[in-house]
Amino acid sequence: MRLFKKTSINFLGKRFQWYTISVLVILVGMLSLTVKGFDLGIDFLGGTEVVVSFQQTHSIGQIRDALGTVGLAQSEIKSFGAERNILIRTVAQEAGTATGDRIRQAITTGFPDDRFEVLKENKIGPKIGKELRRDAVYAILASLVAILIYIAIRFQFIYGVGGVLALFHDALVTLGIISLADGVIPGLNIEITQEVIAAFLTLIGVSINDTVVVFDRIRENLKIYRSLPLFDVMNMSINQTLSRTLITNGTIIAVLLILLFAGGESTRGFAFTLTIGMITGTYSSIYMASAFVLDWNIRKQRKKEQRAAA
Amino acid sequence: MRNQLSKIILIVAAVALALVFLYPSFEDYQHRTKLSSLSDQDSVAYFEQNEEDILDARLKRIKLGLDLQGGMRVVLEVDILQMLEDIAKNKDENFRTIISEVRAEAGENDESVIPILGRKFEERGIRLSRYFGSIRESDAAIMSQLDDETEKAVDRGIEVVRNRVDQYRVSEPTIQKQGGRRIIVELPGVKDEREVRRLLQGTAKLEFRLLRDADISYKVMKSIDDFLSGKVEEDTTAAKPAKTEQKPKDALEELLAGTQTSESDTSREAQFTREHPFFSYVLRVQERPQEGFVEEKNRDRVQRLLSRPDVQRLLPPDFEFLWSAKPETFPDGRRFFALYPVKRQAELTGGVIVDARQNVSPEDNRPIVNMEMNSDGSREWARITGANVGKRIAIALDNSVFSAPTVINKIIGGRSQITGLDTPNEARLLEIVLRAGALPAPVAIVEQRTVGPSLGEDSVRSGLSASLIALIFTVAFMLVYYSTAGAAADFALLFNILFILGTLAGFQATLTLPGIAGIILTIGMAVDANVLINERVREELSGGKTLRAAIDAGYSKAFSAIIDSNITTFLTGIILYQFGTGPVQGFALTLMIGIAASLFSAIVITRVIFNIAIDKGLTPNFG
Repeated sequence: MRLFKKTSINFLGKRFQWYTISVLVILVGMLSLTVKGFDLGIDFLGGTEVVVSFQQTHSIGQIRDALGTVGLAQSEIKSFGAERNILIRTVAQEAGTATGDRIRQAITTGFPDDRFEVLKENKIGPKIGKELRRDAVYAILASLVAILIYIAIRFQFIYGVGGVLALFHDALVTLGIISLADGVIPGLNIEITQEVIAAFLTLIGVSINDTVVVFDRIRENLKIYRSLPLFDVMNMSINQTLSRTLITNGTIIAVLLILLFAGGESTRGFAFTLTIGMITGTYSSIYMASAFVLDWNIRKQRKKEQRAAA
Repeated sequence: MRNQLSKIILIVAAVALALVFLYPSFEDYQHRTKLSSLSDQDSVAYFEQNEEDILDARLKRIKLGLDLQGGMRVVLEVDILQMLEDIAKNKDENFRTIISEVRAEAGENDESVIPILGRKFEERGIRLSRYFGSIRESDAAIMSQLDDETEKAVDRGIEVVRNRVDQYRVSEPTIQKQGGRRIIVELPGVKDEREVRRLLQGTAKLEFRLLRDADISYKVMKSIDDFLSGKVEEDTTAAKPAKTEQKPKDALEELLAGTQTSESDTSREAQFTREHPFFSYVLRVQERPQEGFVEEKNRDRVQRLLSRPDVQRLLPPDFEFLWSAKPETFPDGRRFFALYPVKRQAELTGGVIVDARQNVSPEDNRPIVNMEMNSDGSREWARITGANVGKRIAIALDNSVFSAPTVINKIIGGRSQITGLDTPNEARLLEIVLRAGALPAPVAIVEQRTVGPSLGEDSVRSGLSASLIALIFTVAFMLVYYSTAGAAADFALLFNILFILGTLAGFQATLTLPGIAGIILTIGMAVDANVLINERVREELSGGKTLRAAIDAGYSKAFSAIIDSNITTFLTGIILYQFGTGPVQGFALTLMIGIAASLFSAIVITRVIFNIAIDKGLTPNFG
């Protein structure tokens, strides 16, 4: 079976349209990030979060009233997966796990007729939250640098820059879409947790994968078709790898969708982030990474000609 | 065929190794289903019969992370500053200011506290030898000593925590050091987290402290009361007992008067509170003249008063207040904490305790803990009790007084007892912490994560079903899209999963929920190498090459793309493993193992399959 016949699409000829679209998508995402922001998870925020599973359904208001008796009415309260499961979170910091105890106590006295079970409880001290935030930023920067160096060694420096720029593009688009989708799509609450950061790093690792496959083909074709201009070699290479890119990424995206829908509440944010990331990653390795390298080379060529003319 | 042999041997060896690593997990699963199917009695018999096997399998099976089997993870931070404060000599105002400054600064970053301390001293031009070490030593020498002390304290802390956890009997706990002063404790399957927190956090500093006499105690309380009501001009040098004695009205009398007259109750109470800000909260009782009694609801307020620096200055040098560990219920139903006046210096500390056992008091059937001391301790204890017959000695654990019995006669043989416990469980915890020894410095819980068992089960179930669906989908897709070449890739994929699980078991790694997500992702990604190869072979075939030549060309030309693209992904895996914690590391690990395994299975295994097929005269179809 073949889904993709031998193609000869002029991808790079339309690159300026795609630049515009990408910039627009990123701008919308950035707008959403500044206006709406995103939810930082407990890992990065610090504080206490308790997820309880009730036997009966209680309204958020009732739970808030119960928490009010211990002075925690300001807590964030929302459902967690099923409606009976409630997540309670507060950024209040107390010594040890006093806050968690207060939450339990409030629920025990507030709903005497209902038995509840604590599904999970997390307490993150202020220092830990700060450290995890720092580590997340370091990890993302470190992986970008590592990729830049590796590609620079295996290909050329400018290919490394193009690859990393495409990754920036993917990360920004994904972050923007998370901000837009969070809370809008029913049943989807995405918080930036450690797992979501792991998803970002994975997306960086997998997305560069495609870019490298395209670069590899360009490298090979440049040796074969020495007389062809870079523009044509690149277009040809993208077309030759198109089938592979779409088949592989299609498989991965399908698998991620399975994880998103069947994997349960705890991995939802991870799966969503990676799904979006894979979609933009597929697009960016076709349109962004090579296009940047091309434009940079065209520019260099032009400068050289100007210098020669002068 | 001959050149295939070495590859075939390699594949068979890899598969055999994976199976060897995975066998204990299979055994463990069998034992567990068997155990749960048997009745209580039979299961005990079965366990005893196969104990060695069961325990061995349990040790070598693939471990499930806390997020999958439920349990608790606690990160403790050793309070080095507190320890430094404890070992310092000649502590004065200056020292305390520096310590609190260092504490504020250390809260901001992860830097070790010793260099900060050194810097603060240097800024002020004070030598460290004023408080630490001996007078002749240089600052640098003392700093390195303090560094040693710190390291020892953390190591000793880990040892103590391990002792406690071992005696608490949790199966498969992990305790490790993180960074300079943190201890990570992971306890799978723990249910009562409050108990565990008490177990881990208490310093278990046991002290025997002499109670101060009633008249001194009263004088001190009175001077605090006078000071707070403004009757004494702020006098920073010291409390002057002579002055307080001139005050005509006795606080206790006034208190009684206040409670007896009912008609103008509120105004009198208000007036009393104004005139006696301390005694309005701290009651005194005739039968126990040494202690003050504070109603449960007022405890924090009084503690705040007592910890004010200006109030602290009123206390004589060898005098301190300690709270009782628990409130007592008075005849009128109100609950009071006792405030014990004790000597600052302990007569004897828990270091001399060699054994502790919970028991039940023969007198009132209440839980108690009996302690036994070593010979030095026994001798000291005999001397102390002998010299203080008729006086009271407070038994304090972590600065909370459990009881303060009166010494009736000299105690020989080094025995003592903790009473005043509510439940046998509390006695058991005390027994554990006393036996395990004291922590050299207090520890604070900076992170705690608890996952209930039912959430873990849910995660396992949904994780497994998602993996299965993903696997079926991928296998079916490859088969449809690439025909027999797809079947070869599927074959490689199954081996791949076997390798991932085998490697996890071989490394004794832990499978976490993100780890399962990593396997699912790997299922999707593992076929990538085969897609690259198969697409390339198709290209070569359409270019007119023979099947064998096309396969050779496809593999060799796809190779560089496969390597380069997988190494970049692997790099992010390494970084993720470095920076991530617990569950995320589990993900990074499965991702990396998955990449390595998929390279092997996609390149080596499928190639062998094609070569054998062609040798046999078959023509693999690339769809």
